Amino acid sequence: MKQKSNMQSVGAVALLLCAVPAMAQFINERGPQPQPGKNSAVEFVGPDQIAVPAAKPTRVLLHFRVQPGLHINSHTPHDEFLIPTGFTLPEGKGVRIASIAYPPGRDYVLPVDAKKKLNVYAGDFVLDALVTATDGEHVVEGKLRYQACDQSQCMPPKTIPVTLVVTGK
Amino acid sequence: MKRNSVVLGVTLALLAFFVWAGWANWSSRKWKTVQPHSNAAASSHDAATQTSDSSSLMGKLAPDFALQDLNGQTVRLADFRGKALLINFWATWCGPCRIETPWLVELQNKHAAEGFAVIGISSEGEELKPEDKAGLARQRAAVQKFATKMKVNYPMLLGGDSLASAYGGLDAMPTSFYVDKSGKVVAVQMGMAPEPEMEENIRKALGK
Repeated sequence: MKQKSNMQSVGAVALLLCAVPAMAQFINERGPQPQPGKNSAVEFVGPDQIAVPAAKPTRVLLHFRVQPGLHINSHTPHDEFLIPTGFTLPEGKGVRIASIAYPPGRDYVLPVDAKKKLNVYAGDFVLDALVTATDGEHVVEGKLRYQACDQSQCMPPKTIPVTLVVTGK
Repeated sequence: MKRNSVVLGVTLALLAFFVWAGWANWSSRKWKTVQPHSNAAASSHDAATQTSDSSSLMGKLAPDFALQDLNGQTVRLADFRGKALLINFWATWCGPCRIETPWLVELQNKHAAEGFAVIGISSEGEELKPEDKAGLARQRAAVQKFATKMKVNYPMLLGGDSLASAYGGLDAMPTSFYVDKSGKVVAVQMGMAPEPEMEENIRKALGK
């Protein structure tokens, strides 16, 4: 009798051990749920304070993060109708960007059309900018333009401000 | 005996949970028939299940509109009175819309004889002002190019952004409204749906 009871207990524990990963997988599968149109699909991670030698072109890495479950077109999407991701800085604020190296996108297919390849950024991505600043502290507002989608729908193109405090020394 | 009952109860509860977790997993995977090339976007959600203000139009008369087509002619919703409709809000920059468009062409061909029509409404999200002639011309040219490339066989209207408020926000593209012959919205589809689901909604609109 006692042996039978023990077996039942062992069975229950085994089921529990199976159920916990199943629950974890389920939570992971559903994932954080982006809300199209409600939040910004991309956030600027940093750095917001940048120090560079005055008048000397310096590499600055600008980090961005795409909201989980979403992707944005890379700087070079495969289709002429798709809107590329681009970063701009206003002229004449003591800070100039000579060039920006965009990361290569990742090829990605939508579930319903394996033939159509998109080229996207998802998760974290980094823009490699060559920045020149005059002497002193400059507050500049760059702009990142992108267009975000998930697997079945897309949000309108959006431009977000990217505020940088650049100090030339 | 009492302990056995407790163990049995816990076991049954866990089994029930296991079944539920499996069902929920299957449900959320239903869309994922093809794996993305990169795993970065693998946690994408099922947008079709999202709630939206657009769904508040269910059972109501589809809001009327008067928009220009690609020839500059004014087209009104009332022009389609007595027909079952699929009103498809889309944009040239929307990848899923591009995939869906050939299906719409096919559905238009398949069901036109039954009194069904597709209306495509371009909603570029740029909110161009009427005085921005260059912007409007650029938009028209892009839509025209898209329509030609996709061999679109249904009316393609411009200026869908002006209907955002009436049609529940139109936060994302594509968004489709299925309207029955009396003018009532019988289904709202947020995002791209599989073709069989679109067929089912068309049957609803046709009253079948």
